[in-house]
Amino acid sequence: MSELLQIGSHNQRPNPPKPDEVEMKFSAIGVSELEILKCQYPEIKACILPALWIAQREYGGTLSGNAIAEVAIRLNRSYAEIEGVATFYSMYNTHHAVGKHKIEVCTCLTCYVEGSYRIWDYLKSKLGVGHGKTTSDGMFTLEEVECLDACDRAPVLQVGDQYIGPVSESDIDHLLEKLRATKESTAVQMADAIVKVHLRNGGR
Amino acid sequence: MAEHKLLLEHTDDPMFRTLAGYKAKGGYKGLERALKMERQAVIDEVKASGLRGRGGAGFPTWIKWNGIVKDKVGPHYLICNADEGEPGTFKDKELMENTPFLLIEGMTIAAHAVQADAGYVYIRGEFIDSAIAIRNAIDEAYDAGLLGKDSLGKGTNFDLYVHMGAGSYECGEESALMSSLMGERGMPRLKFPHVPLPTVRGVWDKPTIINNVETYACAPYILDKGGEAYAKFGASTKNSRGTKIFSVSGHVNKPANYEIEFGTSLAELLELAGGMKGGALKACVPGGSSVPMINAEDTMKAILGYEEMSDVKSMVGSGGCMFLNEHTCIVTFIWRTAKFYANESCGKCTPCREGTKWLLNTLDRIVAGGGKAGDVELMLDICSQIDGRSFCGLGDAAAWPVQGAIRVFREEFDYYIEHGRSIVQSEASKFMLPGEMLTVAK
Ligand SMILES: Cc1cc2nc3c(=O)[nH]c(=O)nc-3n(C[C@H](O)[C@H](O)[C@H](O)COP(=O)(O)O)c2cc1C
Ligand code: SF4
Ligand code: FES
Repeated sequence: MSELLQIGSHNQRPNPPKPDEVEMKFSAIGVSELEILKCQYPEIKACILPALWIAQREYGGTLSGNAIAEVAIRLNRSYAEIEGVATFYSMYNTHHAVGKHKIEVCTCLTCYVEGSYRIWDYLKSKLGVGHGKTTSDGMFTLEEVECLDACDRAPVLQVGDQYIGPVSESDIDHLLEKLRATKESTAVQMADAIVKVHLRNGGR
Repeated sequence: MAEHKLLLEHTDDPMFRTLAGYKAKGGYKGLERALKMERQAVIDEVKASGLRGRGGAGFPTWIKWNGIVKDKVGPHYLICNADEGEPGTFKDKELMENTPFLLIEGMTIAAHAVQADAGYVYIRGEFIDSAIAIRNAIDEAYDAGLLGKDSLGKGTNFDLYVHMGAGSYECGEESALMSSLMGERGMPRLKFPHVPLPTVRGVWDKPTIINNVETYACAPYILDKGGEAYAKFGASTKNSRGTKIFSVSGHVNKPANYEIEFGTSLAELLELAGGMKGGALKACVPGGSSVPMINAEDTMKAILGYEEMSDVKSMVGSGGCMFLNEHTCIVTFIWRTAKFYANESCGKCTPCREGTKWLLNTLDRIVAGGGKAGDVELMLDICSQIDGRSFCGLGDAAAWPVQGAIRVFREEFDYYIEHGRSIVQSEASKFMLPGEMLTVAK
């Protein structure tokens, strides 16, 4: 049976932290970015999506219960509302703690006919984890995703803000080696890049 | 017929991504002319061009723009739908990365025509390169006074913002996109006739225009050269004018975006893309995963035009054109299509939420070798309960590919159900299957 990509046993959310136990962890930069964003929409509620991107960056790539609570407090919304919005979207890492690098393999139609399941199987055996799981060293999270809309380069995968394709098994060996040597978390870099494009001159 | 590049002409020129380079190639002439015209005259120019929405539905753009409230009281908003998510489509990505100013100029022209105060480019979250290109172009336009205060003439401001999605196909549906822009789950809203059109009450309950990236990108040409010049392209078709970008992928030698004039044949498009790779043509999905597939014979006689494509019972859609060769098993291809829609259904309405899962369950069983007599009828029955009965277009789009494939390749489904394996048995066809299904394929 198909494992639906976004629903499954890994879909477990933490209990919300008690209101007086929420730690406010946004950096000064994150706080000032949020202030700029508030001026870009007629309603503060519209800042929820970009604020979640800020949180995903500030919390190392994963939206923990505390991260959701902090966004709720900063935007003066309820925890349940922010949690509801965050869990709708597949790019917010709410279902599981992600590793330093999230490898997203497109297995959708064009990639499918170009053999993306061979790439998928290869990565699964190489990393020893399946969809939505992280390697025990916390380095890689593997995800099967829908069309990345770069079908001219099928089969395609995405790591952080990079599209890579067409990929072969040997490309993957190189990629994993390169990523292991990368200091920064590409999952965090991606969230950072997304926050910055909302802001004029990147917020500088 | 060859390519007709009105939009993609300068994609290889990195200078075209800068304001100076864009202006050197005639950029911003359209806006200059538009600002000297009355708002209604701009809309009439778009009417003369015959431009229809490039996001999938092909709705006449001028009607949308003309529907905006004329006696402006509060703010008006302009939205660009850059949430490209349709499998097989990658044209908006290329337009944003290589020709960002076409979009920005196009949106500014539209802002003038519909008196918009602010615009939002809603970009799919994965498209970070596109977003950076748009961001840089917006920053440059601000610095040059082409956006922001007094940009549409003294006392008339137009601000443009980038808003990133976060991974949801459904957010490409216009009312779901507005929900998402307002900070909600990406679920669609009740539409006309039950509530007023977005042009009257859209995002934040204010008059709103929403168009696709490619639609806006056509506006600079239309305003610079005139609607009639644009309408000369595609004159051989019933009602499709101008050029259209088709994203060609699948089993072709040169997968890429090709901009052609409406009225070009699908066979010519295949030729442009370097012809078939790895085997003879078997089927074509001409307009993104949501449209019904057609067989080789129909592919060879199809003409690319909104009305013309219905002659072969398919659609232009978003222009995501996938060619499949003889080694493709249609049953597993449709299984993967069904998986996409089951994953992306937003869950708001029952026919789609439950129906897409049932389609996938049935196809899962068939593909695993456990198909039963009557399964094809079962799928058609599920489809008929989704099609036309769901809240938004995603439900219909989930049913059409299944209905289309069964219509054209019924014998493949029957064979698979009877024998528990595909009619296509070659190394190339096994290459496509997921690991757990390889044992079934033997
Ligand atoms: C499920 C679904 C997904 C859609 N996805 C997109 C999309 O990714 N991009 C787009 O431009 N239009 C998409 N549309 C079409 C939009 O709803 C809308 O028709 C379009 O943005 C209007 O712009 P246009 O008139 O310029 O085509 C989608 C529609 C549906 C029903
Ligand atoms: S048709 Fe599908 S995507 Fe659209 S509202 Fe219903 S459940 Fe959601
Ligand atoms: S199918 Fe993989 S990028 Fe489109």
